[in-house]
Amino acid sequence: MNTAVPKLSLRNVTKTFPAKGGDVNVLNKLSFDVYDQDFVSIIGPSGCGKSTVFNIIAGLLHPDEGEIRMDGEVVNGLRGKVGYMLQKDLLFPWRTVLENVVLGLEVRGTPLSESREIAMEYIYTYGLAGFEHAYPKALSGGMKQRVALIRTLIYDPQVILLDEPFSALDYQTRLYLEGVLVEAVETFKKTVILVTHDIDEAVALSKRVVVLSSRPGTVKAVHEIGLSQRTPIESRSDPRFSGYFHALCAELDIQTKVGS
Amino acid sequence: MDEVLARQSNDAEKIKRPAKFLTPQLKATASTLSIQLGMVFAFLLIWQFVVERGWISAFLAGSPAGIFSKLLEAVNNGSLWDNAKATVIEAIAGFLIGSLLGSLLGLSLWYSSFFARVVEPFIVAINSVPKIAFAPIVILWFGTGMVSKIMLATSMTFIIALIAAYEAAKNADRDLQSLMLALGSTKHQLFFKVVVPYSLPAIIATFRINIGFGLVGAVVGEFISSSHGLGHMIFTASSFYDLDTVWVGLFTLMLVGFILYYVVDRVERRLLPWKQADSGQRFRV
Repeated sequence: MNTAVPKLSLRNVTKTFPAKGGDVNVLNKLSFDVYDQDFVSIIGPSGCGKSTVFNIIAGLLHPDEGEIRMDGEVVNGLRGKVGYMLQKDLLFPWRTVLENVVLGLEVRGTPLSESREIAMEYIYTYGLAGFEHAYPKALSGGMKQRVALIRTLIYDPQVILLDEPFSALDYQTRLYLEGVLVEAVETFKKTVILVTHDIDEAVALSKRVVVLSSRPGTVKAVHEIGLSQRTPIESRSDPRFSGYFHALCAELDIQTKVGS
Repeated sequence: MDEVLARQSNDAEKIKRPAKFLTPQLKATASTLSIQLGMVFAFLLIWQFVVERGWISAFLAGSPAGIFSKLLEAVNNGSLWDNAKATVIEAIAGFLIGSLLGSLLGLSLWYSSFFARVVEPFIVAINSVPKIAFAPIVILWFGTGMVSKIMLATSMTFIIALIAAYEAAKNADRDLQSLMLALGSTKHQLFFKVVVPYSLPAIIATFRINIGFGLVGAVVGEFISSSHGLGHMIFTASSFYDLDTVWVGLFTLMLVGFILYYVVDRVERRLLPWKQADSGQRFRV
């Protein structure tokens, strides 16, 4: 499908953690590509090393073997080039909404006056006007994740890494934020990697889904998702949605595990 | 977008609500205060009554009336003020030096886990000695004046502040640190943007404890050897069996401790506004 140089590619990434009962091989020769403006989900059984992949890409862990290339060049993780969202909102409780939003720019050394101006624009766009001086404690879960999303977008990262960012939210808020995310990614032409255990979410949001095998994690299959709808809600009502959903369930051997 | 606006107004309501409770809150404070004052007054009345009846010896217990006359005397001749001033200066100076230095050192141990591991047993060893036991040496080294009391108060507060700051810094939120690193932060940025603000509540909570230890250091130093201070006043009065003056000193100490604690509390509110964000909401039980 894509002949261009991948935005990001993992080649034979292997990671082993020392443990009491002997070393645990978490990732074994993991390879996959992510193209510019791609939206790739990584799914797999629990314990397959999804979060380890996430941390390796973010540059928080170093692989024992293998390499990571960005725009064709070998890099040592993507520190300083990735935006990052987890299930926990990871807002700094001692910072106001505005101060949280500018965190990435502050780390990068952008002058405060400049980053504040950009931040206020985003805060207005995402419906948080009036809350810029509130502390996270005063916000609802959905609002907190919106703040975390703004913090990620405003940093203008090369790649956005998401690790189950909406799984702690109620379903309605989650659908709403999925929509916000997809729209933002389109608008700002971002490349996204979403780590999730939620097949439904993976199908609704992604262009491609990478399925990992159980430990040691390796790429079992890559599924192209051909849903062209613009919002995650529309995607879910597409007749092809359930086809993709079942294909991925089968890939994860979910049927055979019921009742075992 | 409508949905966004709807959420927003909902949330806005949620945030503004505490302001409405201000009046009942004030009322509650007033009624609490009147009960507290009533209790103190009743206690003093009973005390006076019991002493006058001769059920308890005024010689060994003192009496409210006697305490009051000694208080007036000490206020009028200025000795109470002089003594209180000396003790407060010693306690505050020792508290500030010990707490600030201890906190700074404790935080800075975060920078090198190797160095921290090296010094940890020494810190534990020093901490396990009752600091009061150093008093005779401190007085030998620093004389009988204020400096020795300040040093004693410093030694009381320093290790406590150090341990609290070190523990807090060590436990600073891992996920926030990971986020910072992914955003490309340097170690300094990690320290000043995550570790320090994360540790601040624990450090300030220690200040509340340390203000009391600062007073302990000052007073014990005065007991051992001094010419001024509330500790000196209490110690000399008790050697003359002047219980009323002893009580004047004790109550003044209590008041001093109370005020200092209150000041630290105010400082905490100032420094940690984010901790106060939703203090208006309480569940009924």
